[in-house]
Amino acid sequence: MVNVHKRRRFMALVALTAASGIALSACSSDAEGEADPTGSATGEETSEGETASGEDVTLDFAFWGNDVRADMYAQSIDLFEEQYPNITVNETFLGYPEFWEKRQTEAAGGGLPDVMQFDYSYMRQYSENGLLLDLGPYLGNEINTDGLTEQILGIGVVDGVTTGLATSTNAWGMYTNPALLEETGVAEFAGGSWDDYKAWVAEVTEASGGEIYGGTDYTGRIQNFEVQLRAEGKNLFNEDGTPGFDEARLAEFWESGAEMRGDDGTGISQQRLEELYPVSGFGSALTASELTWDNFGAGYLGELGESYTELGLVEPPVTVEGAKDLYQKPSMLHAISANTEHPAESAMLVDFLINSPEVGAIFGTNRGLPASESMREGITFEGLDAQILEYEESIADRLGDAPPVPLVGYGTLEEKFRVLGTELGFGTVTVEDAVSQFFSEMDVVLNS
Amino acid sequence: MTQRGDVWVRDDADQERVPAPRPYWNRKRITTAIWFIAMAALTAIVLYPLVWLIFATFKDNSEFGQNPALLPEDPTFDNYAKVMEGIAGVPLWRFFANSAVIAIAATAGTLISSSMAAYAFARIRFKGVGIFFTAMIGTLLLPFHVVIIPQYILFNNLGMIDTYWPLILPKFLATEAFFVFLMVQFMRGIPREMDEAARVDGAGHVRTFASIMLPLIQPALVTSAIFSFIWTWNDFLAPLMYVTSPEKYPVPIALKLYNDQTSTSDYGATVTASLLGMVPILLFFLVFQRLLIAGVATQGLKG
Amino acid sequence: MVTSTVNRVDDATDQQTGSATPRDPKGLTRKQRHWRENIAGYGFLTPWLVGFFGLTLVPMLYSLYLSFTRYNLFSPPEWIGFDNYIRMFTEDPNYTQSVKITLIYVLVGTPIKLAAALGVAMLLNYRDRGAGFFRSSFYAPSLIGASVSVAIVWRAMFSTDGPVDNSLSFFGLEIGGWVGNVALVVPMMILLAVWQFGAPMVIFLAGLKQVPRELYEAADMDGAGPVKKFRSITLPMLSSVVFFNLLLELIGAFQVFSSAYIISNGSGGPAGMTNFYTLYLYKRAFSDGQMGYASAMAWTLVIVVAIIAFVLFRTSKMWVHYQGDNR
Repeated sequence: MVNVHKRRRFMALVALTAASGIALSACSSDAEGEADPTGSATGEETSEGETASGEDVTLDFAFWGNDVRADMYAQSIDLFEEQYPNITVNETFLGYPEFWEKRQTEAAGGGLPDVMQFDYSYMRQYSENGLLLDLGPYLGNEINTDGLTEQILGIGVVDGVTTGLATSTNAWGMYTNPALLEETGVAEFAGGSWDDYKAWVAEVTEASGGEIYGGTDYTGRIQNFEVQLRAEGKNLFNEDGTPGFDEARLAEFWESGAEMRGDDGTGISQQRLEELYPVSGFGSALTASELTWDNFGAGYLGELGESYTELGLVEPPVTVEGAKDLYQKPSMLHAISANTEHPAESAMLVDFLINSPEVGAIFGTNRGLPASESMREGITFEGLDAQILEYEESIADRLGDAPPVPLVGYGTLEEKFRVLGTELGFGTVTVEDAVSQFFSEMDVVLNS
Repeated sequence: MTQRGDVWVRDDADQERVPAPRPYWNRKRITTAIWFIAMAALTAIVLYPLVWLIFATFKDNSEFGQNPALLPEDPTFDNYAKVMEGIAGVPLWRFFANSAVIAIAATAGTLISSSMAAYAFARIRFKGVGIFFTAMIGTLLLPFHVVIIPQYILFNNLGMIDTYWPLILPKFLATEAFFVFLMVQFMRGIPREMDEAARVDGAGHVRTFASIMLPLIQPALVTSAIFSFIWTWNDFLAPLMYVTSPEKYPVPIALKLYNDQTSTSDYGATVTASLLGMVPILLFFLVFQRLLIAGVATQGLKG
Repeated sequence: MVTSTVNRVDDATDQQTGSATPRDPKGLTRKQRHWRENIAGYGFLTPWLVGFFGLTLVPMLYSLYLSFTRYNLFSPPEWIGFDNYIRMFTEDPNYTQSVKITLIYVLVGTPIKLAAALGVAMLLNYRDRGAGFFRSSFYAPSLIGASVSVAIVWRAMFSTDGPVDNSLSFFGLEIGGWVGNVALVVPMMILLAVWQFGAPMVIFLAGLKQVPRELYEAADMDGAGPVKKFRSITLPMLSSVVFFNLLLELIGAFQVFSSAYIISNGSGGPAGMTNFYTLYLYKRAFSDGQMGYASAMAWTLVIVVAIIAFVLFRTSKMWVHYQGDNR
């Protein structure tokens, strides 16, 4: 009796599994079906771009940002719809991490929006999988390239195909807090080597009597490592995905930050930074300098509050005199889904968002320093905006060619680097362990 | 303490001589007083962080990194003014209305479908009950992050993206095993004589379920309603996946929009909006927690 | 797991039909009754069955399949056998660390949270007048959703010279801030979970409301003390609810995600001390594009929790009393 029961149950289970297996294969073939047509994106079929039909068209447009940026896009889209009454644009926006979680799901499940604000670190992954439209046929047609330099146009090229256009650029720089420097009586960092910078940080920390700090341990950020490697004529990662450094070089880099770390270090301690989160150390007026992208200034001013109207923005320390160690990175790009039913109209929207002086007037430098000349014409640069423009002009002799588009999984490695930096700060790993952990993570990422 | 004790003893002695009113501090009153004091102390600890949050809504954005104290240095209503403006042309009330629609529909769905399934599991003897019960518990065990993508594909194929269907439909299909299992446990706590008496009188399962079982498990239904409403209201991941248009966003998604690490973050607006987002669910709880008592009263009579 | 529960439920239902036979009101044969029970059973279960087969089962099995593949969300999954599982157990120090802190979180946090919930529920059950306010107050922390506000508030509470630090200093414990102290981050996360004890508290309360007051009155007459009443009336009568809360809180603690995600801004920091199992799984799936590995992690967790659930269900026979089963 019991046996019969059990066998029946077993058979039922088998039937269940079989049934779901069928559904499963249907499900996965659907998924492939959705993804399949995208394969043609990089093929020849689309090399003759379609032209706009003039019929009523609706486009989905997705971006990340806060309420302020959402308002700016809303105004810009209104202008676009006025100019092209047959096109309706539905906007959708989220915070950065949520934006990418949703895109990852849509990419896997079929259904990316027509036009997207895009991040450099995801360019290669989406392009190599054929999810982004080849913009080549539209350049010079729907998309005006007059205001874009060769260097800018070269940024969004993956494996010889243009799949993204930079809206704006930023460069690595160093923000300083003039009010804190005045209090401590230390002069602005006058440039110099990394050792000079460390000495300056120590001076500020000491002059304040430990109230504030000269800076943060800069070896926690992979960009500082990259700047040093570029100065030595190497890349962080080469086009073929191999690293431009070995264990010894990474160990040397992390060792060099030792004096800034820990409770009695010259930089702000990791403990302190954890307590401040989500506000940054620099934004809490606890550090006098921060090496970061130059478009972070507005965020810092917001965190520091109304008593602050200006910040210092100076060049990062020099590794090798005369080296072209800095570069212009796209702070964001625009890309079009390979699946879009309206490629021409999508291209028109991208053109508008990248070139229009009116859009420039609305955004200012919210998305970074506009890449397009014609967009810059719409902006009256003042305050911080003017400072950033001036800064990027001032570092012209240090600006080199952009490195290869980041490899797939770069985001993972950048985060791993940052986390290991915090662990070094806590003293929970040794430099040696950190190096071996980073290399084993690299192994996984580069081989998958 | 002992002195006080002596006082009571004397009171008792007095009582023996004169049949006067009972002493004010009798044992029951003392216990009640201790109860109130203990409750108040616990409440103070538990509520302190929320009080901090309330005061934080009057802080300027720049105070968040610089002033960890309870009181704002320079109280301002700016955060409220800003939040009331809405986001990118979508008025604030819209997000609340969206959340309310989703939460009410989801709660109704959960109550109906989960109580039905629970009744089947707890009280009906049918072939396969064991295996399905195990399967139901099994669905609780898998972290849902790994099923997000197949479910997205499913709803995408059904053409339900950017509608509320993917948020509501599963609730009408009892996919939240938590509630089914909760009700099963409560139904098992009901003496079988209760519903069997009805069965003997000739009532079928439908009538037994509707007129005997449902009233008896009212505390469980109220509990489920409270949780279902609040959890749906606070749910972030499902609407993130399935809702695309900002004018359809529920409150939790809207909340995140004040805070973007790649540009400026407005912490003042964030805490203010999240405090406002708690008001409707607090009201919901206040109303429904009363039923937690009412249910007992009826049940006490029947039991 | 399967057979155990099957037996359990069947045991329960056997008793029912067994005893119902002599007084069947409609004079139906045994076969007819079986028929009617099956129809009723599947009728009541229809919504759940549709949901289970339509929405839940296929995605679950698909993830099981993915756990044996390398799948980056973009190209089709590639079968690699047990490689994901092997990597997890032999060459991923982050995984080991994640398992360690998750176990501490579950084993320490769950009992504390349940004890707090039960204790407060019993206090609340002591009287009805005035309890509404306290009940709402204790539930209030559980209302706060997965917002950045949680991170802001909780970090403020546990920062240097914050309320917790100051209170402990008052008692002579100079620990300093917890947030930046790697050793105290897990305890801080446990306290966050305990602070949000509203859900099990309400369930306990609902369970207490179901205990007939006559039982206590009878015990009073027998002169039973509060401890005796708790052990011989409250606990047995509440055991089905205790079982529910225990199982669900354990599962919930193993899957802790939102609070860690928010407190650490999704990074699992500081120093990996909030990199709980599901958060790590999530990062692998969505940030690192290793959905196959994440699925393997998920199914490993399923197996571990299923074993725990199995043991709980098995042992529950000894201590969980169902009114409906003991007639």
